[in-house]
Amino acid sequence: MAETITRREFIAHRSRKAGQSDHIKKDWPTARVAKLYRSFLEDKPAPYHPPKKDYTPVPITPSGRQATVDWNDDAAAHLLRRTLFAPTFPEITTAGSDSMENTVDTILAAQDQPDPPGDWVNEPPPQFNALTEEEIMALIETYYQRQYQLIAWWMKRMAIQPTSIVENMTLFWHNHFATSIDGVFFPQAMYEQNAVLREHSLGNFRELLRRVTFGPAMMIWLDTNRSTVSHPNENFSRELMELFTIGVDNYTQSDVEEAARAFTGYATNGVNTNYSYNQATGFGYYWQQNHDFGQKTFLGQTGNFDGDDIIDIILQQDQTANFVCEKIYKWFVYEVPDDSFVAEMATILRNNNYEILPVMEHVLTSSHFYDENYRGCLIRNPLTVTQGVFRQLNVAEENIPQNYLIRLQYYMGMIPNNPPNVNGWAGYRSWLNSITLPMRKLFSATMTDGSNLFGGDLDFEPDVVAFAQTLSDPNDAEAIVQDFAKLFFPLPISDDLEEQLLYALLEGAAVYDWNINDDGAPLRLRNLIKYMMRKPEFQLL
Amino acid sequence: MKRRDFIKTSMVLSIMGAKLPLMALGKSRQNIRRKTGTWDSDRILVLIKMDGGNDGLNSVIPVYDSLYHQLRPTLAINENNALMVTEDSGFHPQMAPLVPIFQNGEMGIIHGVGYPQGNLSHFRSSDIWVTGSPADEIWSSGWLGRLLQNEYPNFPEGSPDHPIAIQFGSANLLEFQSTQTNFATMLFDPEIMYYIVNENYVPGSNDPPPDTFGGNELNFVRELDLTTLEYSEEIYSAGQDGNLTIAYPNTNLGDQLAVTAKLISGGLNTPIYRLHIGGFDTHAGQDGEHPQRLIQISNAISAFLQDIKNQGLDDRVMIMTTSEFGRRVGENGSNGTDHGTSGPIFTFGTTTIGDVYGSQPSLSNLDNNNNLLVEHDFRQVYTTLIEDWFGLDPSISQAVFQDTFNPIPFVASPLSASGSPAVPEAFTLFPAFPNPFNPATNIRFELPSATKATVRVFDIKGREIRSQHLGKLNAGQHDFILDGRDLSSGVYLIQVEAAGSAQSQRVTLLK
Repeated sequence: MAETITRREFIAHRSRKAGQSDHIKKDWPTARVAKLYRSFLEDKPAPYHPPKKDYTPVPITPSGRQATVDWNDDAAAHLLRRTLFAPTFPEITTAGSDSMENTVDTILAAQDQPDPPGDWVNEPPPQFNALTEEEIMALIETYYQRQYQLIAWWMKRMAIQPTSIVENMTLFWHNHFATSIDGVFFPQAMYEQNAVLREHSLGNFRELLRRVTFGPAMMIWLDTNRSTVSHPNENFSRELMELFTIGVDNYTQSDVEEAARAFTGYATNGVNTNYSYNQATGFGYYWQQNHDFGQKTFLGQTGNFDGDDIIDIILQQDQTANFVCEKIYKWFVYEVPDDSFVAEMATILRNNNYEILPVMEHVLTSSHFYDENYRGCLIRNPLTVTQGVFRQLNVAEENIPQNYLIRLQYYMGMIPNNPPNVNGWAGYRSWLNSITLPMRKLFSATMTDGSNLFGGDLDFEPDVVAFAQTLSDPNDAEAIVQDFAKLFFPLPISDDLEEQLLYALLEGAAVYDWNINDDGAPLRLRNLIKYMMRKPEFQLL
Repeated sequence: MKRRDFIKTSMVLSIMGAKLPLMALGKSRQNIRRKTGTWDSDRILVLIKMDGGNDGLNSVIPVYDSLYHQLRPTLAINENNALMVTEDSGFHPQMAPLVPIFQNGEMGIIHGVGYPQGNLSHFRSSDIWVTGSPADEIWSSGWLGRLLQNEYPNFPEGSPDHPIAIQFGSANLLEFQSTQTNFATMLFDPEIMYYIVNENYVPGSNDPPPDTFGGNELNFVRELDLTTLEYSEEIYSAGQDGNLTIAYPNTNLGDQLAVTAKLISGGLNTPIYRLHIGGFDTHAGQDGEHPQRLIQISNAISAFLQDIKNQGLDDRVMIMTTSEFGRRVGENGSNGTDHGTSGPIFTFGTTTIGDVYGSQPSLSNLDNNNNLLVEHDFRQVYTTLIEDWFGLDPSISQAVFQDTFNPIPFVASPLSASGSPAVPEAFTLFPAFPNPFNPATNIRFELPSATKATVRVFDIKGREIRSQHLGKLNAGQHDFILDGRDLSSGVYLIQVEAAGSAQSQRVTLLK
């Protein structure tokens, strides 16, 4: 007879469940390592994966477009919310008093590559056959910890990002080329892909696609690594077309099979590959033996194609730019694409030889993007909830509880480098359900009291008074409420809602009684933050 | 009390509030479940999705087919290892727990289930299965969503007081999507859900959302918020009342089935559960992974069947597996199999006729892509569930699939659509929705014959606040909107007087 379990036990119980081992390649890098890795993972916590797709909205005719962008704090906040993980108050007011063009320039400016999470990112793969079982287990443990170091490192980048789109754009591309540590054993490979996504996030889509395709992580993830002339594996060639470039129903099963033949003979040891970016070809003995050099017919063209040729042919298809731009639109603007606007974006992408920057510039300076209709019409993804609020409340970098936030993301559904499958996260309304919505509200206790939702307290407490000092007038309760609304709610607030917020802050006291130096002020500010984070409005972006 | 003290006290309380869900459980709650809802039968459908595309040929194995052994040099299971259950087929050895169930006549095998022009993409094929669309059409609502929409056209208005469908973890919610709403409630664990939801609930604002895309989304979040609150209470209370009679395997699917059994046992009237088990996309190294998944699913289902039988619930429950496609006949170079087309569906329970429907697919007569031909359309299977299991009219399944599909006779005692009575048998007052409410709630009632009706509203002290004569109403269903804009927060008693009797219920106005 099963017992009733407590919540704590439930979480501990749940976290024993396997799930990550689903993607383990059976005998790679070696059969012994794979077997040990599987047993290792089955003892590790399994992430909670959100549903693939929740809702297909009924299209609504847009209510017209503005002639020009009416630039003010609200428009600036909209731009910053959509491009950062969440803006701080000074960012909003600075941008609002500057011009749209300058703000967009700042957001799209090139960024230096951050320091990697450790020296291990370049560590060569070991000679597994020379290792004992104990040594392999120790290595697996090390690799596993490094995968999570990498995830923590990236999540921290999001929380401490400068006023730049790069981290969000990197996450967008990660969602596009969704690759998971579940299948990619080597943390080096996951780091390499992350660096590529970041470096090319506003660069050239062709280069980005080549770097990702022939990088060790993707080769491992979608099985090009083990695909040979005698036994081509269709996994990568199908997803390349279906998810990365042309979109489903624009090619045939025969195109999948022919492209699979072209993507044979590539190999990686987890760190290096037998592919030369400069020469745009595979090389070496393995390549000569295992690549299919024969004639293929792909999307109506015939030739002795290799992987690069397939990519070239795919990029000759008009539909590719449309498909990619639609995904950009869905991430940054709205779930229901405006076909004519997406067509404009696609034309810009093609006319600029697949440079991404001009497309983003077009989107972020268009009257379409700033139309009132699109304010607050995205559902916040879980990382904009956790990392965003840390950023907004100015929590010091060293106080960000990284591992705790990863654990929270198990329940909210978005651990970077661990998407549910190669289709990435479904996003939009699927982020919210009867588990994740209450979890997000519960998170307000962490952000206000430093409560650890899994028990106990974290070693930090946000300095809400210092935070309030960054607002327009910390001694004016009404101004505080309005500024908070700018930070946390994307839609204009009604008088009724403003009154509720004021009550949450003052609990019936008079407005003129409010004083930021009052002993009770920190508690009251926390109450307001908590109240706002539990409101439906908070879930919108 | 000084103002500052007052603030401090109330702060502490509300901060405590946020921490409450972390405390030990044990609050006693009044049982608030009521047996309402408009599905006429008390039948329950438990669907289990095998995510990734189950390899049918290595589940129900054509052991004597030499082509099978030729095309699968490393993956084939021979007659010595397979567990023979019919003349030509054996179960995979890891499906041993299912052998006695099959032999007992409590497991159906429907061969070759798929759809014409099979699509080999996971996502597309999954979508086809959950939307019930033809292969060449993209539909944006699910077959269950449309089925339920037919029953609850104005959801959440007029919705029953129990979740209409429960979905565990991470399957595709598109299945429960109608053109307007999603009918599924997602669940991990009843108690956790209840505490987290209730302790973090903040009443929504009163103001109408702006008439923009953003306003639409705000409406969506508000609606989800409220429905989650209500359903969490129902689920919690069923979870408290429910029992398990045996230990379930300590696996993800085992947990899901244990919770399902507990809720059914606790009296939750939810008619549809969707569970899932991952790991069937065996492109590489299939001989390591596939057997593990088969033993997991076999053990979990076997435990569930025994449990509901022990509790006498088995005659109400039908279990069925689905998967987005089968796999390729020949193995690939990575000791795996690539995406295929059709595969077997399994049904379980004393409610199913244990039999083999159709025959082992031919391995020589294949489609243009060397995939198995389809013997049964999956929509035939779903049509059977709609018409024979739930006893709904064939016009409904036709509306759901925009086409007619012949049922497969796997339901042991099919319900026939008797044509539900147009005239209700008795005067019935349904639970108000929403409740708690702000600013308005809908009161629905049914009348067996034409009669005068009056609605009265009393406050908690029994004072009559309002009274409204609705005049003479026809037989059938009627709605009355209670507008609370000029009332203050609190509990009210609504009384509907009709057909010579009065029925009442409590509603809570939360401003």
